[in-house]
Amino acid sequence: MRKFILALTALAFSMSVFAHGPTPQKVQESVTVNVSIDKAWALVKDFGAINKWHPAVKDIKIEKRGEDTYRILTLESGDKLEEKFRSIDEGLKKIKWEITKGNVPFSDFNTYIIVSKGANANESIIQWTARFYRTYKLNPPIPEGQDDATAKAAVQGIVDNGIAGLKKTLESK
Amino acid sequence: MIIQNKKIVLTILICFLTLLTYFYSNNEKINSKAYITNQGDNTVSVVDLINLEVIKTIKVGVAPLGITILNKKNLAFIGNVGTDDINIIDTNTDEIIRTIKLNTAPLSLTSSPDESKVYVTDWFKNNILIISVDEMKVMDSIEVGKTPSGITFNKKYGYLIITNRDSNTVEIYKKNKLIKRLNTGRHPFGVHTKGQYAYTANVYDDSITIINLADWTTKIIKVGAHPYNVLTHQNLGFVTNTVDDSLSIIDLKIGKEIKQINTGETPENLDIHRKLNLLIVTNWGSDSISVYSLKNLKLIKEIKTGAQSRSFGDFILQ
Repeated sequence: MRKFILALTALAFSMSVFAHGPTPQKVQESVTVNVSIDKAWALVKDFGAINKWHPAVKDIKIEKRGEDTYRILTLESGDKLEEKFRSIDEGLKKIKWEITKGNVPFSDFNTYIIVSKGANANESIIQWTARFYRTYKLNPPIPEGQDDATAKAAVQGIVDNGIAGLKKTLESK
Repeated sequence: MIIQNKKIVLTILICFLTLLTYFYSNNEKINSKAYITNQGDNTVSVVDLINLEVIKTIKVGVAPLGITILNKKNLAFIGNVGTDDINIIDTNTDEIIRTIKLNTAPLSLTSSPDESKVYVTDWFKNNILIISVDEMKVMDSIEVGKTPSGITFNKKYGYLIITNRDSNTVEIYKKNKLIKRLNTGRHPFGVHTKGQYAYTANVYDDSITIINLADWTTKIIKVGAHPYNVLTHQNLGFVTNTVDDSLSIIDLKIGKEIKQINTGETPENLDIHRKLNLLIVTNWGSDSISVYSLKNLKLIKEIKTGAQSRSFGDFILQ
């Protein structure tokens, strides 16, 4: 139900702000977790561990292709998603990746998570940012399900569930 | 006694005048403001480039993206892709003085060298719209290739140059007639020109294409991930790599990237203030701009602006 309301909110918001146009969409959410920055970063930076914290990910397989690292995710829905690791910045505590393949209602999805210090030593802040476009790149009329609102609602769901999953996993350890 | 008093008065007067001249030349004479379109909150941040702070936030149309500044006429043209219109800002007062309704999405803007016209790429209808600056209305249009994106004007040859994002081409117009269409890398977006060269940022190829306007030869240079826009200054080229959060520095003499420097998150566009020797980059991801010294390419300051800062085009009043 919560997801549905979120999707609706995102839908209403997106429709009013981005009626059309080739505009990159942004979803950015953050959460405070009651663990040290080092503990939070250790989990976030592990590209092969998303199945431990993201509720939508059922299984994961890591693949090396030349210099590049990919992860093939099997989702709870049964769909597969392929993601490519881009970089880790230890100084900024930032990990980046992109979606390279998958049956998703958005495109050109690039994303990063940054872990930063909280108010005290046992608190940290996790911020997840995603940049993406709708799937339909041409001029209006935009087919149903390929518009900005649909793309944004889908990504909002992924990020919200992921952030909640990170908090739950980290604090239950 | 009277003579001495006169001397003192004169000295004070001279000091006062010197100070006045100093402040005048530093704060008034040099135009030094950056106009940042914040697509996420429908505003333009006005940034004072001497004190490096936001001095005003102007409410504009929905989803502002493209911009061009008319330095001689003290005007800023802002393209809003959400409301399909253009806001014209008087840069003396930083107030909107006119809104031009287009009924199509203005993606990017540039002006003719004499500032009598502003050209706008019309993403939906594959046109370049021509706005008369004096009349502040659309007076003509040119039919162009698909998905016109970036636009710039080459003074040397009088060429209007656009990128066609989805057909991987650059088109060159003279006196409203197409004179050349060339292939670029995949997904060309930002375009820049100076002297006999034009440069496109090719988003999907992680490269830029350099076009020699004298003989139509092209050359590709590899840069960072998902480059969005390109700019040159003397012998250096600068490219915003949106996915790498970096700026590629290119040595134009040897035709190679020589290093990358860090920016804010998802850097999109860039401009230079020549007198102040500043390079400004807009950061879509961190809602800010990064200000660098052109002398040593060191970051001077990152300034928070508004949500999803973009400023696609020339955005510095100078």
